[in-house]
Amino acid sequence: MTASVAVQFPLLSLLLWLPVGGTLLCLLFRHSSNLCRWASLLTTVAVLCLSLWMGFISQGGGGWLFYEDAAWIEPFGIRYMLGMDGISLLLVLLTALLQVAAILISWEQKEHPAFFYALILVMETGIIGVFLALDLVLFYLFWELMLIPMFFLIGVWGHENRVYAAVKFFFFTLAGSLCLLLAIISLYLIHGGQTGEYTFALEALRQTVLNPGTEMILYVGFMLAFIVKVPLFPFHTWLPDAHTEAPPAGSVDLAGLLLKTGVYGMIRFAFPLFPGAAERSLPLLAVLSLVGIFYAAWVAYAQTDLKRVVAYSSVAHLGFVILGLAAWNQLAWEGSLLLMINHGITTGALFVMIAMLSDRAGTRELERLGGLWSVFPNLSAFFLLFCLASLGLPGLANFSGEILVLFGTFKAHPLWGGLAVAGVVFSAAYMLRVVQSSLWGETKDFPRRDDLGPREWLILIPLALLVVLLGVYPAPVLDFLREPVSLLLATGGMP
Amino acid sequence: MIVPLEHVLFLSTILFVLGLGCVLARRNLIMILIGVEIMLNAVGLTLVGASAFWQQVDGQIMVIFLMAMTSAEVSISLAMVVYLNRRKGTVDVRAFDEMRG
Amino acid sequence: MNPLLLFMIPFLPLLGGVFNACCGSRLPQRLVAAVAVLSVAGSFLFSLLLWPLGEGDGTRTVLFSWLQSGGFTADAGILFDPLAAIMTLMVTGVATLIHLYAAGYMEHDENQARFFALLNLFVFAMLCIVLADNLLFLFLGWEGVGFCSYGLIGFWYRKTENASAGRKAFIVTRIGDLFFAIALLWLFREFGTILIEQINARAGELDPLLLTVLTLLLLGGACGKSAQLPLMTWLPDAMAGPTPVSALIHAATMVTAGVYLLCRMFPLVSLSATGMAAIALVGVLTALYAASCAVAQREIKRVLAYSTMSQIGYMFLAVGVGSVSGAMFHLLTHAFFKALLFMGAGCVIHLAGDENDIYRMGGLKGKSPQVFWLFLIGILCLAGTPLTGGFFSKDQILLTAFARGDGFSAILWGLGVLTAGLTSFYSFRLLYLVFFGEQRQAEKGHALSPLMLWTLPLLALFGLFGGLLNLPHLFGGHQWLSDWLGQPAGVSLALGAELGLLLLMLIFFGGGWLIAHLRYRNYPGDEQAGWRSFLLAGWQFDRLYEFILVRPYRTVCRFCWQGGERALIDGVMEGIARLCLHWGGYARKLTTGQVAFYLQGFAWGLLLIVGWFLLSAVK
Repeated sequence: MTASVAVQFPLLSLLLWLPVGGTLLCLLFRHSSNLCRWASLLTTVAVLCLSLWMGFISQGGGGWLFYEDAAWIEPFGIRYMLGMDGISLLLVLLTALLQVAAILISWEQKEHPAFFYALILVMETGIIGVFLALDLVLFYLFWELMLIPMFFLIGVWGHENRVYAAVKFFFFTLAGSLCLLLAIISLYLIHGGQTGEYTFALEALRQTVLNPGTEMILYVGFMLAFIVKVPLFPFHTWLPDAHTEAPPAGSVDLAGLLLKTGVYGMIRFAFPLFPGAAERSLPLLAVLSLVGIFYAAWVAYAQTDLKRVVAYSSVAHLGFVILGLAAWNQLAWEGSLLLMINHGITTGALFVMIAMLSDRAGTRELERLGGLWSVFPNLSAFFLLFCLASLGLPGLANFSGEILVLFGTFKAHPLWGGLAVAGVVFSAAYMLRVVQSSLWGETKDFPRRDDLGPREWLILIPLALLVVLLGVYPAPVLDFLREPVSLLLATGGMP
Repeated sequence: MIVPLEHVLFLSTILFVLGLGCVLARRNLIMILIGVEIMLNAVGLTLVGASAFWQQVDGQIMVIFLMAMTSAEVSISLAMVVYLNRRKGTVDVRAFDEMRG
Repeated sequence: MNPLLLFMIPFLPLLGGVFNACCGSRLPQRLVAAVAVLSVAGSFLFSLLLWPLGEGDGTRTVLFSWLQSGGFTADAGILFDPLAAIMTLMVTGVATLIHLYAAGYMEHDENQARFFALLNLFVFAMLCIVLADNLLFLFLGWEGVGFCSYGLIGFWYRKTENASAGRKAFIVTRIGDLFFAIALLWLFREFGTILIEQINARAGELDPLLLTVLTLLLLGGACGKSAQLPLMTWLPDAMAGPTPVSALIHAATMVTAGVYLLCRMFPLVSLSATGMAAIALVGVLTALYAASCAVAQREIKRVLAYSTMSQIGYMFLAVGVGSVSGAMFHLLTHAFFKALLFMGAGCVIHLAGDENDIYRMGGLKGKSPQVFWLFLIGILCLAGTPLTGGFFSKDQILLTAFARGDGFSAILWGLGVLTAGLTSFYSFRLLYLVFFGEQRQAEKGHALSPLMLWTLPLLALFGLFGGLLNLPHLFGGHQWLSDWLGQPAGVSLALGAELGLLLLMLIFFGGGWLIAHLRYRNYPGDEQAGWRSFLLAGWQFDRLYEFILVRPYRTVCRFCWQGGERALIDGVMEGIARLCLHWGGYARKLTTGQVAFYLQGFAWGLLLIVGWFLLSAVK
């Protein structure tokens, strides 16, 4: 493996464990909420700066931009193996960005602030770890590490029905993860039995010779974990509940990041490890994602809770992402990954805005909102912008990814592509319903009547700029995706 | 070895069963503790017997270890019994079923 | 001339729009309006200056690559050819006048920043449609105008009906966009490119059946934007927006985008005879339908909305019978006189004290003769009075249809002539009801801002003399527009036939006017007969769609939510959970909390283990 490592310093480890350092600081200063939030903000900003800098110094090219490998648990062949290519880099950047937003949006956290911030930071490590790990055990570890903080964020700081949502979230994802664990161990044993070399390294395991039946079983084990996380119809019902009950920062992380780990797992692990099974499963994946696109759009139209609408819109958008993957060509894959990043920013921003909005209006029920524009013009303008991005207005973020997915899909399978286009009309239907019943109409009575504060401007302006930039000029992002995607499609991602 | 191993084992079995019976049958917490002690001593006896039989010192070391542990255990459990008695005014185990599912 | 300067044409309005959107609300209202007007005017000047670039094959220039991946490229690129050049000039010119008018019309509104930002962005998006060198960039403008018109129709958002009208417009046009998008994807699949020039050049390679399908898909897209059957229901409701918006978006520019798209893709479209027939049929049916609705409308702007729909029907007919120059000619003259009519209607509404109902107006001629004369010019053009711009352009379309000679074209022509008669009738009905007779409105009107009045004469001039753009040889003209578009009119009729047709047109025009004169010269009293309410409601298409589309959609959504999501998926999941709980209940009974019970368990276990060992020892 030729690693084009620009700097010898273990930057990846630094990136990965920085948030844990922040966690320790938080716990250390747990008596002063002010120190805590500054510590966590600085940590997330540091991670963001570091990942931005890494993006700048990394040269393109097909290999790992950064790579680390060290012995860890020798007897079982478990290694501490991290690697970052263009895809991981972009996802880490997205993570770092949204975590800053998540900290800022929960700046006024009243209940147990130290633990709240600590959990968010732990989750950041978990998510970044998932995007970097190349050893299956390490990957699984981070995979589960994401789950636990989220469980507590929903279960402790959530809204009325939080315990139900937290448990539902936990069981869905855990059931998936257990399948993943079983499949990982089976693969390890099969590989060890064949070669005598017991290892969890992704690259080595790719060489395992599997008969089609076994391959399919193991593939399904992997995919169950990822599909639940994405989430693909019909495994999505945990998502709206989790979103509705989670605190704002939790929703941002959930939509913006956690869902992405599922897609990432597919392209980094499930597809390269079991290419034969993956190929056979593509039609099913396409069907599920198409059903998801329509079904989620319809269900979203019937919702009355703002957060649930956006949650279902996530399901629909992720349907597009998976559809693009199922089309299995460069164009569609680049579109899928671009859409994933765009969706992270748009939906993250929408959840941030819903938090601000429901703080002021005192409700998230669409029927009790209305006429927000006359009271909060700035806030409403931003909300409109993000809603438009979400419904796929050209020139804003989601469109650039969606249209590439559609082009790629239509090229490979006209029927899938043609059907998916119809989903766009439905997305307009539910998104405009949201805009209609929240922004327009007679102004209702709201507990607070103040427009955006400085902290809120600070969160929204970068997100809004990114939404526009990614819609108008996504070339930098696509440049980072090009080589890794073609590698993934050709050789399963190995340089 | 003056006493044959069989006798030691037989005695310790009897002791163990007696202790077990005491633990199972009694309702009084203190009596249950005493039953536990008897069972522990039965085990100790087995260890000493085995040690003598195979002329190995390990068994006796184990017994000394066991005695130290037992005394610690007894002091803790008696303290807990006193506490439980204070809480409910009884040492009847049937009163303490808060852990029922 | 640097071709990159072409980008100034769309970017000036964009800049103005973004500027007003970001900091307009903190600036004095006059400055906001000035920025908006100047940016569009600048764009108009640039399109005048750069006019030579459009000659011949035109100029293609690329600013940057918008999307590029896996063999797919979409640039932010401009194709400035004769068609685009003439359209750009019209859009920016009319938009400048309408912006000026709007500065007067919206004088007293508090939200001018939002208004002008959206108006400027609209012009930007429209220019994207006009100038784009590839279909995706065109699509950006296509959806962009959709959004801006959404925002502007619902501009007075406090009334829910306005916001709903905006939403209806957005969603209905998006249904059309769906077809356009599929055509776009399909073209890329076939050609591996989305450049308009290349697609047109290589269209001949396609299978005829596929060509027909693609043409029908493009027609679907065009129908949505241009409010043609069956996607026309949004346009009358769109009149909820401020009047300058109606003038700019729903008369002069956006609704003509569909016609423009078909003209743009004409080399491809024209290869499919079935497709062309479908375009012509849709056009002429819409023209007739809309004219019949306009006959019974009560609100001044709705009359104009239906007349717009009807006139665009003519343009579709023109494309369908193969005359791009005819379509563009009518598009240009229509843009001038319809903008004039709408802005005139804005003046009328102001004069009548914000009254919309023409049955409650009347006698406005005395109140403001200037508005009357300007409005009269607009009406004359619309009705197709001989020698006005509208007459020549409409005549060219009908001539072309007639000249084709086959039975189908003859039917198209017949319906077109009939519609012309209806048009004349409802135009004069409008004129008589509004300006003649007694004053019937209760409210006192308010004074007109000079900006509103002084932008109209220019449009009136263009409307009246728009015919000179493409004056037929019969009248000593040179058909300049047809030559410029590189489409010399292929119509050749005998002089006698041509004169006969003109006479027929004259008879229908005169008949329409005469009936209107007899019935409406003196106010006939409020009329609300049964057939009128049917036409008033646009043949009840709204009701029909509500019944066969909207309600079933809502039902499906509710069913998915209650039946699919709640009952089925969550039901199954929670069922599994309950099953586990149920069986767990049995296991729970084992946990009695009694130490003795547990110890018994230990003992039995011990016995079992010992027994097991003993048994194995025996064996």
